[in-house]
Amino acid sequence: MKRSVFLGLLLIMSLTIFAQEQKMSASEISVFKATIEKETKNIKSLKTDFIQYKHLDFLSKDIETSGKMYFKQPNLLNWQYTKPYQYSIVFKNNKVYINDQGNKSTVDANSKMFEKINKLIVGSVSGNMFDDKEFAIAYFKNKDAYIAKLTPKTTTIKKYIKQVDLYFPMDEATVSQVKLIEPSGDFTRIVFKNKQINAKVDDSVFTN
Amino acid sequence: MQKWMTRFLLISLLSLFFFSCKSYQIENAKKRENGVATFDNRYFSNPETDYVYKAHIEVYGNQLSGIFIAKRMNDTLHRVVFTTDFGNKLLDFELSENDFKVNYIMEDLNRKIIVNTLRDDFRLLLKTRHTVTDVFENEDYVIYKSADKKRFNYFFESKKDNRLMKLVNASKSKEKIIFGFESKNSIFAEHIAIQHKNIKLKIELNQISN
Repeated sequence: MKRSVFLGLLLIMSLTIFAQEQKMSASEISVFKATIEKETKNIKSLKTDFIQYKHLDFLSKDIETSGKMYFKQPNLLNWQYTKPYQYSIVFKNNKVYINDQGNKSTVDANSKMFEKINKLIVGSVSGNMFDDKEFAIAYFKNKDAYIAKLTPKTTTIKKYIKQVDLYFPMDEATVSQVKLIEPSGDFTRIVFKNKQINAKVDDSVFTN
Repeated sequence: MQKWMTRFLLISLLSLFFFSCKSYQIENAKKRENGVATFDNRYFSNPETDYVYKAHIEVYGNQLSGIFIAKRMNDTLHRVVFTTDFGNKLLDFELSENDFKVNYIMEDLNRKIIVNTLRDDFRLLLKTRHTVTDVFENEDYVIYKSADKKRFNYFFESKKDNRLMKLVNASKSKEKIIFGFESKNSIFAEHIAIQHKNIKLKIELNQISN
């Protein structure tokens, strides 16, 4: 009797696990990838609000910061925190412009670094990071979203990041949430809201 | 001329010598009968509180920005994490009076001088209970003196509302590090400035209302 109750419990537990997250089949993956890739190609500009949650295991509450992000092809980017403090970082003309609560500074960046950062940002918002040689990718889904889990292949990245999870809502082809997990298990979760693709983004947005 | 020069040099050197040997003293402060054994810095003392600050670091002309996080883990141990604004960890320390553990430090920061300086600053900032050897007072402050290895710490508590306003870490003769606190009450500092006197390092922390 006891044994069957135990088995029953085990079955329910594993069912719940399955209901939460399950692996995608090979055909699902290829359809999913094709949709995302097609969608990304059409992105000329991006405008979105975001909320960033920093989770540290020893804290009682995640640290919450939020702001706006603007991107315009080929290489204009403004990542801007507005709460609880003002901090923005603009990538433009091979330069990085930082405005830290009115304290301004500029850093030179080489174009290769730009390319990488652009790819990373656009990749994480759009989700097109699949062909990257730097990550191994596993695909899952739950009842609301498809989840791509990226594990870095190179030791340089492994030092900082254990895994990146990208969440794609079933009805959208772009990312709604990015979770960057550190080797320690602590993570940063960024949730995108009010995302607008190809809305008009004025060049003046990329000045801080 | 030669003689005059020598004399001048000699006087300068001597006065410099005497000046630098003058022991560190607080202006207009008088020693008073010491009836206290300990002083508690309560700004990082509550184990229930997540202490989260926006941090600006100015080191030899370079600017660094990020988030400073501290938590009291138990009676003696504090955890300190410094991240960039984007959330990635730059360092993660565990420290108490005698123990020190680096959980993580970014490669570029992993220099002995950086680690040791930050370790000592954080240790002094976070430690709650200090043994008092002498007590001074002037018009505005009661000043508690505590021995700290070869140095001394002076805690300036305002007479008006019993808040810790300043902490000076000094050698026998000179101020080495000055911690300034701005607070609305005696248990939480909204603004903290850490200024080093012998290296070009300044750390400013501003509370993030989480």
